Amino acid sequence: MSTADRPNGAPQGRASLKEAVLSMDLLLLGVTLLLMGIGLMMVLSASGIMAEKFFGDKYHFFHRQILFAVAGTALMATVALAPRKRIYSLKYLLLFGVVFTLLAVLVTPLGLEINGARRWLKLGPFSLQPMEFAKVALVVYLAWFFSRKQELVKSFSVGVVPPFLVTGLMCLLLLLQPDFGGAAVLAMLLFLMCLAGGTRLVYLLLSLCLAGGGAWLLIVQSPYRSRRLLAFMDPFKDALDTGYQLVQSLYALGSGRIWGAGLGMGKQKLFFLPEAHNDFIMAVLGEELGFAGMVLVFAIVGVLLWRCFVITLRQEDLCDRLTAFGMTLILGLGAILNMAVVLGTAPPKGVPMPFLSYGGSHVLCAFLCVGLLLNLSRTAGGRNTAQGRAA
Amino acid sequence: MRARKANKPLPASRLPKARTLRLGAAVDGSRVRIVLVAALMGLAWLGLLGRAYWVQVVDGPRLASLASRQHVASEYVSGERGRIYDRAGHLLAMSVEFKSIFARPLEVENPRAAARVLANALSRPYAEVLRRLTERRKFVWIARQVGDKAASVVADASLSGVYLTTEYARQYPDRHLAGQLIGFVGLDQKGLEGVEKAFDGLLAGREASFPVQRDASGRRLYLDEAGREVDIDGGDLHLTIDEHVQFVAEEALQAAVRDNEAKSGTCLVVDVASGEILAWAEYPFFNPNTYRDSSPAQWRSRIAGDAVEPGSTLKAFVVAAALQEGVCDRDSLYYCENGRWRIKGATINDTHKYKWLPVHKVLRYSSNIGAAKIGEGLGVPKYYEYLSNLGFGRRTGLPLPGESRGILREPGEWTDVDLAAASFGQGVGVTALQLARAYLCLANDGVLRPLRLVRSPEVEREPDRAVFRPEVARQVLAMLRDVVMEDGTGTAARIEGLQIGGKTGTAQKAEPTGGYGKKYLASFVGFVPVDRPRFYIQVMVDEPQPSHYGGVVAAPAFKEIAVKSLAYLGELPDVGPLPAAAMEVAGDAENKRIVHKFEVGENAAGSVAASADRDDGRVPDVVGYSLRRAVALFARRGVMPAVRGEGLVVARQSPAPGGSWEKAREQGCVLWLARGDERS
Repeated sequence: MSTADRPNGAPQGRASLKEAVLSMDLLLLGVTLLLMGIGLMMVLSASGIMAEKFFGDKYHFFHRQILFAVAGTALMATVALAPRKRIYSLKYLLLFGVVFTLLAVLVTPLGLEINGARRWLKLGPFSLQPMEFAKVALVVYLAWFFSRKQELVKSFSVGVVPPFLVTGLMCLLLLLQPDFGGAAVLAMLLFLMCLAGGTRLVYLLLSLCLAGGGAWLLIVQSPYRSRRLLAFMDPFKDALDTGYQLVQSLYALGSGRIWGAGLGMGKQKLFFLPEAHNDFIMAVLGEELGFAGMVLVFAIVGVLLWRCFVITLRQEDLCDRLTAFGMTLILGLGAILNMAVVLGTAPPKGVPMPFLSYGGSHVLCAFLCVGLLLNLSRTAGGRNTAQGRAA
Repeated sequence: MRARKANKPLPASRLPKARTLRLGAAVDGSRVRIVLVAALMGLAWLGLLGRAYWVQVVDGPRLASLASRQHVASEYVSGERGRIYDRAGHLLAMSVEFKSIFARPLEVENPRAAARVLANALSRPYAEVLRRLTERRKFVWIARQVGDKAASVVADASLSGVYLTTEYARQYPDRHLAGQLIGFVGLDQKGLEGVEKAFDGLLAGREASFPVQRDASGRRLYLDEAGREVDIDGGDLHLTIDEHVQFVAEEALQAAVRDNEAKSGTCLVVDVASGEILAWAEYPFFNPNTYRDSSPAQWRSRIAGDAVEPGSTLKAFVVAAALQEGVCDRDSLYYCENGRWRIKGATINDTHKYKWLPVHKVLRYSSNIGAAKIGEGLGVPKYYEYLSNLGFGRRTGLPLPGESRGILREPGEWTDVDLAAASFGQGVGVTALQLARAYLCLANDGVLRPLRLVRSPEVEREPDRAVFRPEVARQVLAMLRDVVMEDGTGTAARIEGLQIGGKTGTAQKAEPTGGYGKKYLASFVGFVPVDRPRFYIQVMVDEPQPSHYGGVVAAPAFKEIAVKSLAYLGELPDVGPLPAAAMEVAGDAENKRIVHKFEVGENAAGSVAASADRDDGRVPDVVGYSLRRAVALFARRGVMPAVRGEGLVVARQSPAPGGSWEKAREQGCVLWLARGDERS
């Protein structure tokens, strides 16, 4: 993990550490940990039976997820307390590290192929999905780029081409895996970062058209993608094959009704919902905790995003602000896209739910984002942090 | 980093004034745009919440009912029926997967279009298919056990309301081999006869109406409601039958029945030490693959189901009982009335006329009168007690449908004539299984043990029971030896180099009108070798003609089975010229396919008896071996060597030692013989 080389703790001594912690957005920290707790509970419920089947251990995924959560929390704390400059100085290292691992996934035997896609890097008992860290690396790079080249961003060759080239390279590597969803997420990040970074709207509109055309080409060229898209448009037409996941997800949610079947009582996860503990964990939650549980999760995620945007808007430094904005986007887009898939309003594309879905890479990535936001929250609203939090 | 810092002044110098202004404007401009993005995301989030409300609360009941329907009847699968194996693991019965097509007419959206597709794919009349698709039923079969091509066409068409399911058809690779024993299953995969019926509970695949999950390797998982994995495949059944011995027995039995123009015949081969039945042959044969072309008379098992009057084979037991009770000893003399004895209005005849015979000769010459007199001395209660202890009148408990318990009347109903008749095997009904079990008692030092037909799973068995003292059993065995080895009735069963013991039986069959007529049941039972019994072989031939003596009709079959089985196991003794029978092990082109299985079977021989010769899968060096041993070694691998020259010892061989058996089979083998003076 490329962020592993951490700087020596910035705040010196107990008093300054306490001060640093207190100056953070503790509400953001609270909802993050709450969400992670719900995630652990749901992973246990969703994966227990399958884990017993395949690994002979009911707690296989649960234990691993706890490990990820602990590692993620440590990462978050480190990033939150580290000097910001140190983090920004890592941007190229991050960028090259991500490109390098993306290449390694494709060309080295360490690349792990699951269901026809090489998206993972095998590292002993764990596998790493570089795509998750690509998002963070891209955001840090773009934030730095737009803030430092602000006077140039409105010109095409210097202001538009480099970020597009970097993003394009990453998207290309993702498409080779193939990971269409991942590439789409990076493209969205680029677009929204450009938007906030001040790129001319003309360019953005132009790129939107280009992206739309490119996506259409990609979809038309791959029967797999077009089938998935068609299945999404009418999942019930081919409910046993391509529309399967969507239909099963809707069945699960529908079965949950208002109050749910009760924790651990869901039936869809038993046989029907593939990867119930991964991307479709919200379907399991919806079945077991009902609409009430969904409202709870929506509210928690809502509070999380609200705090993220507040932190973002309170940044005075453009680089800080864009970084915060990007981290917010990673979390927010992840949640929205995942929910859209689970609720049958977007085609399945393999986007996990931040903190809730099982998986090491995205949990670490989400904690990384929150860690950076917590770090930034220390300077939210100038030096007047206490007031900032009270507001 | 450094390069970039160096770059910095360039743009700055290009737009020096605008910089600070722009930066401030950018921060403010970005604030507006970020708020815009936040608002959009908030809207999306609220929209998704609304969608969740719709899916869960408004549309929830409908989706929930769809989901529960899928819980109850998603896929209709039946597990694979278990296989039946012989003792060495050769397949006797297996299931082959087929696709069947069914419809739920209520779910068929466009019956006409569906019927057109189905009629084309299945080559069936359109009208008939349409009629089925529109039946007012929940479930109709469209076609069962269709070909792969038709199934894939139907699957690809993915017609609404039309489903494919997996069914299995039963196949018996060895055709008629042990047909009556194995039995068969009906179209619905229910065992209807034989062990298929008796072990239906074990073999039958269970049906799953719950859904199926495939893991990454494509293996199907069946989970019950609580998520536990369920194995819906049936269990396998391993019989004690040895495919090869079975084949040899069937071949010999067929020859005995055909040559003697008999009606039918049965044969059992049992491993004496374990009581395991190695062969269960019944002629006419029954091929379970085509059971619909056969009649119930052909597929019901006579060995288990028919009680017959055994005739003289029962004499061994009256003698044993009398010896045990001290009524007589081996040399006690009985007057045999010169071949004709009248008691209480009945006449008992002997085939040959005898005056005084000692007990052991009564058995050797099979004198009815002598046996009747021994029985008379024993008395009804004692004789009944022994017959009962030997298991007559009681089922053997083998797991088979329709086993007869035989006919053994209560002792109070017996007259003196009944006792006399029962002493030489008339008026008592026994099944072939009961007779085999009783004879095995003699070979096991007088201990009655249950027969075994199933190796696994474990079957509950009766406890052993001591019936005779060991010395009594051995004494009778010695008398049985004399039947074959001396001037007895069973000399046709002799095998050179082996001590054989046996007993002939020539039972007159009772007429339906009463009394005994001109029809006979000829039988021969015996042990190979008799000094240390290894196999028990029992041959019964029903209504042979013109010759009807057990010693003539059944004994040769006994001999052939014994020789071929021993040759196959490599246990023929090393004496005398090779009997022609052993050379025929791999003969009979008609049955080549069955024999071929032994050729390819890796461990064909090893299971019944651990072979003395190491078998490393290569052609062994047999130079210096006796011809018999060499032939046995080759025969076990299904290769019948040609023999050149005269003598008893192999002088040269082709192919050379160490070659592969496949090559040997292709090229053929030749053994050159030399006069083996050193072995003479």
